[in-house]
Amino acid sequence: MSEDEIRKEEQIIERSKKDPRAFGELYEKYFDRIFNYILRQTDDEELAGDLCSQTFVNALNNISRYEFRGFPFSAWLYKIAGNEVNKHYRKHKGNKIFSIEELKVRELIEQATDDWDEEMITRLLRYMNELPTEMIQVLELRFFEDKDFKEIAFILDMTESGAKMRTYRALDKLRTHFNLKVKYDG
Amino acid sequence: MGKHEIRLRRQRMSARGSDRYRNYNAVLKQHGNEKRIKQITRIFTFFLLIALIVIIFLAITRWEKKQTKPQSKINTPALTVT
Repeated sequence: MSEDEIRKEEQIIERSKKDPRAFGELYEKYFDRIFNYILRQTDDEELAGDLCSQTFVNALNNISRYEFRGFPFSAWLYKIAGNEVNKHYRKHKGNKIFSIEELKVRELIEQATDDWDEEMITRLLRYMNELPTEMIQVLELRFFEDKDFKEIAFILDMTESGAKMRTYRALDKLRTHFNLKVKYDG
Repeated sequence: MGKHEIRLRRQRMSARGSDRYRNYNAVLKQHGNEKRIKQITRIFTFFLLIALIVIIFLAITRWEKKQTKPQSKINTPALTVT
């Protein structure tokens, strides 16, 4: 995000503190990203729609307390969205769902062996089911949302080194188990 | 062992698909309602606090009054001098 864009967002945020209608611009800008982020964690469009609305309502309710801390505004929205999703799972006592797009998986993983087929994907999914949830969350933000480690640490309330460690451990495991090369690797 | 389930989605949600859930007016309306409820709760809590302080104050003054009240007439047997 460029300096100019950040400054423009800052101005909108300042205006939103006085007039909630000004927040509409940020809503339009980030709606799709937040919706898809929630959808990926719920696999339910209706629920994602509800949680997404609640995310923006919470953001608007607390906009007066927002302070720029070196992260783009979207990081704050992701954090609120993550909290909403966690609240939903706590309330309904269900297992967390990560619904990932096949196309995106294929984009991310370069074929290292010739036997990259349906069976391989199934095996990969089964394997990912065994990984700790925290590791999947970090991977999701890193590879599906293109977030840097600093932002991931802010969104998930962890240290930057913790986020890095989890990502590299997960990648190491994928490499050793599947002989895969991940595009963002290294 | 993770407590989660990984699912594979064949198609990515299109922007048009998510548009069905895009409604900023509804967000504004909900924000207005929540703000109003918050204000009412704040006012109610304020008056409740004031009422509580008044009740405590009254109770203390009453108790102090009781403590400092001059002893009621002490009935001493009348002396009769004959």
